[in-house]
Amino acid sequence: MAYLCVGEGFVAPAGAVKAVLHTQWGLGPATPNDLVVGTLRLPRMTLGLLVGAAFGIAGALIQTVARNPLASPDIIGVSQGASAVTVGAMTYGIGSFTVLPYLSVAGGLTAAALVYVFAWRGGLHAARFVLIGIGFAVALRSITHLFLTKGDYLVAQQAKVWMTGSLNGRGWGEAAPLGWALLVLLPGVLWAARAQRTVSLDDDTATALGVRLGRVRLGLASLGIVLASMATGAAGPVDFVALLAPQIARRMTRTAQIPLLCSALTGAFIVVTADLLARKLFAPTELPVGVLTAAVGAPYLIHLLLSSGGRGRKGGTAA
Amino acid sequence: MTASASTMGTSPEAGPAGPATANRLTAHQLTLAYEDRTVVDGLDLEIPDGEVTVIVGPNACGKSTLLRALGRLLRPRGGAVLLDGTDLARIPTKKIARSVGLLPQTPVAPEAITVADLVSRGRQPHQHWWQQWSAEDERAVTDAMERTDVTALADRPVDELSGGQRQRVWIAMALAQETDLLLLDEPTTYLDISHQVDVLDLVRQLNHERGRTVVAVLHDLNQAARYADHLIAMKTGRIVARGRPEDIVTAELVHEVFGLESAVVPDPVTGTPSSSRARLGEPRRAERGGACGAGPKRGVAEAGHGPKRGAGRSGALLSRAGARG
Repeated sequence: MAYLCVGEGFVAPAGAVKAVLHTQWGLGPATPNDLVVGTLRLPRMTLGLLVGAAFGIAGALIQTVARNPLASPDIIGVSQGASAVTVGAMTYGIGSFTVLPYLSVAGGLTAAALVYVFAWRGGLHAARFVLIGIGFAVALRSITHLFLTKGDYLVAQQAKVWMTGSLNGRGWGEAAPLGWALLVLLPGVLWAARAQRTVSLDDDTATALGVRLGRVRLGLASLGIVLASMATGAAGPVDFVALLAPQIARRMTRTAQIPLLCSALTGAFIVVTADLLARKLFAPTELPVGVLTAAVGAPYLIHLLLSSGGRGRKGGTAA
Repeated sequence: MTASASTMGTSPEAGPAGPATANRLTAHQLTLAYEDRTVVDGLDLEIPDGEVTVIVGPNACGKSTLLRALGRLLRPRGGAVLLDGTDLARIPTKKIARSVGLLPQTPVAPEAITVADLVSRGRQPHQHWWQQWSAEDERAVTDAMERTDVTALADRPVDELSGGQRQRVWIAMALAQETDLLLLDEPTTYLDISHQVDVLDLVRQLNHERGRTVVAVLHDLNQAARYADHLIAMKTGRIVARGRPEDIVTAELVHEVFGLESAVVPDPVTGTPSSSRARLGEPRRAERGGACGAGPKRGVAEAGHGPKRGAGRSGALLSRAGARG
């Protein structure tokens, strides 16, 4: 709600509601806020919510598969694959914003598929998957930079904004496909929430319980990667959301596995709040939302790294 | 001594993949290997139904590897493990999980999971996507927690429990699976002597009450002899001897399997064979089993009392008495 009201000009909550009602469902009279609230802020917020939710679930799934709170689609190469393809396309003149999102989805999926192929050895092993993913991420990042240096200055500037992840100037065009994708993938997400129960056990125990671990992991990781690629296609790689949201959600709920719904909500909240701040903080200059999520995310990542040292060997052995 | 035939008095070892096998879990010409290192080569095995089978042997003799193969955690390089005469590799893993439960050596619980939640995951093989939690599941979990005496801990996080409690919780999870066969990989590792006895008593009790077939890997020969109906002694991937402990545990066997000079006397409490070092002095490798390895079990044997055959072999009290020495 606050998101709709606050901006370059403040719109009273009541006015914002009226504007939304009018522009979306043709209810009530036209108001002077229709353009700002209904045409700019509402679609942008919707996109922010969807992107955040998609990243939140993607992060939760990949962290579950990797059994590692540091794993996330922006670390194992999905975001980097999307960036490399998109920036490459921009550099070579395919600048149309209708094509780019699809290209970046393709880029993210291709990168993930390559990581699979290299990490697969009769099954998907968590550690190998993450390490190979990190390797690919580094390689793809340098390819992106190669494109940036080769390309035209203006294009490079534009590409850089995309690469940090931004909701600026985006709306229904990006939100609708992402919304549909989330809807279509919903049964998959419900399945995943159930599969998490056994995958979060150790390999031997899960196998003894009759779980086909390799396949289940593949399913979970694929779902996460598709979601992350779609979100990246819509808003660019908004860093750290996929990493942060599941961890925050887990700490809030104190559950044995990472809660998917709560991760989605947390992710949505993070992105929308960050975008609100990004719009407001240095107004009239709008920061890309990715700058803010990274600014908050990086210290949290360090905190995670420091605190995970103490929890490392909990479990099997008794004192 | 070579691999002696089973002294069980059952039908002779069944032929290749024979349909005549009476016992549910068997292995035929089993070859197990990691990468290029062969651990077990061409091994035949029958697990007698309704009994407690204990596999003993020195470290790295392949006993855990064998157990993992019996529980399809390790795919055989050659031969097969058969469940009801069918190769495990041909049975859907979920179907196996309804007949065979397995507790790995060092299971890892997800962070912050509660006891009840962990135990309930043992019901996984009985659940379907259209039915996620039934009254039957509820009953099995309650039952499993009662048997292992962890009901009072139901809402506690597993990572806050002591080693002994935690092991009981894991056993409860395996019990909730309600399988006829239960495989336990060194269930007493990391436990002090009294908790070891607790766990083994529990295992015995499970076998007695429901006629469940139990296969456990242990590294302590005396414990193995005390709790096993059927003992399998392994060395370097081969079965050196199998049969009833009182029939097969001899000083020669202990020497052959563990390389230890020993005297075997009947356990004064349970009457089962019990071995101890014959000569002291020269340093020998210590048994694995943590800081508590030097339990009173040796004292029992060294006391050298005459056999008290009358004592039964089951029951918590008797075993505890033995442990106390």
